[in-house]
Amino acid sequence: MQGEKNKEWNIPRGLLFDSSDCWLKITEETVVGLTDYGQSNIGDIIYLDFVPAGTVVRRGDRCGSIESGKWVGSLLAPISGIIVETNSEAKADPHKVNTDPFGDGWLYRMEPADRKEITHLMNLDAYKAWIQERISGKAKDAEIL
Amino acid sequence: MDLYHLGPVDWVESQSIYHALALLNREGLIICYPTTPYVCLGLHDDLEYEIDQFYCRNVRIPLLRRETGGGVVYLDSRQIFFQLVIRQNNPLLPLRRQNFYEKFLEPAISLYRKLGLAAELKFPADIVGGGKKYSGNGSGDIGRCTAYVGNILLDFDFVTMSRVLKVPDEDYRRNLYRAMRANILTLADCLPCPVEYSLLAEGLLAGFTKQLGNLFPRSVDDELRATAKQVGRRLTSREWLEMPGRKSALRKVKITEGLYLQAQERAVQNCPAVLVREGVAEAMTADL
Repeated sequence: MQGEKNKEWNIPRGLLFDSSDCWLKITEETVVGLTDYGQSNIGDIIYLDFVPAGTVVRRGDRCGSIESGKWVGSLLAPISGIIVETNSEAKADPHKVNTDPFGDGWLYRMEPADRKEITHLMNLDAYKAWIQERISGKAKDAEIL
Repeated sequence: MDLYHLGPVDWVESQSIYHALALLNREGLIICYPTTPYVCLGLHDDLEYEIDQFYCRNVRIPLLRRETGGGVVYLDSRQIFFQLVIRQNNPLLPLRRQNFYEKFLEPAISLYRKLGLAAELKFPADIVGGGKKYSGNGSGDIGRCTAYVGNILLDFDFVTMSRVLKVPDEDYRRNLYRAMRANILTLADCLPCPVEYSLLAEGLLAGFTKQLGNLFPRSVDDELRATAKQVGRRLTSREWLEMPGRKSALRKVKITEGLYLQAQERAVQNCPAVLVREGVAEAMTADL
């Protein structure tokens, strides 16, 4: 983890972020993906699954799952709304999330239920600070081990 | 860290208790073994693709789908399970979950070494010795915790393992059996006489005490038992078992990390399958 301290993560402007390392591009609909930092922590992604399009989710609900090597975890909805489309190409080739997390590796599109929830999300500077906080915290703890 | 040194447990409880701990947001280390055999699918395994359900029904081997990663495994009383549940905000847990295997598997690796066996980690989660696999292990985020699960094979029923998997034909099954036999090692293969469960459990506990600090023995309390019962029903329900999962066009079974038995579209030299090691196809030979 020490090597991560000075690593520059690709974090494009114009997006919002949540603490589960999701990025959101908010227009009339919202596109959701996993950040470069998020995919890097997960490692080589070998399986991706989503709830069906049309599913109504609350912020924090499980809306998919992801597997890398010998670990599985959930994709949690960063905001409430309806999942309108999932990325079938990323599902067929999950490695796209590793290689192009802000492009072809997007995860799903959703129709937000409550625009006020956007205030819970982080802008670029806040997300950068969040990453640094986690890296420095974990790096310190890694030394204890 | 709380310790649940449970010894023999019902087959469902051998999975449901660690799920329940995680869902209750309680940390703990569990050491146990199932009293009867069962087949355990990984979260993303596809039941229809992976399992010969007709065979399993006939020989009364029950099925369970866990919420951790890895593939299908046949489990029975000749395997010792060690399962660690830690909260996701515990500083012990690295952000990159796979990196924790090095710590999680160290007690088992030390134990193999104490028994005089060469053992090392093969990233991310296999314990290997002399190029063969001692055990495969898995992990997954469950609720606000992460569970790491591993086992030590005292012995292994390779025949039943090769029978419970759905395969294209009997040639493939024979090759599967041979590939597993040639690449997986049990303690019975390596040691002149059987090792007592208690000795292995003590060795694991000594290793985990080094990793985690003092372990505080606990029994399964009412809250944990009730939650485990509920979780157990879900993990064995038809709906949960039939959840669709990953499939590949040609049957592919993972033998060890980086080693797969892959069916071929057309049999080459009368061989319906090929062993693929680190991406490179190997000829199948009778002695494997």
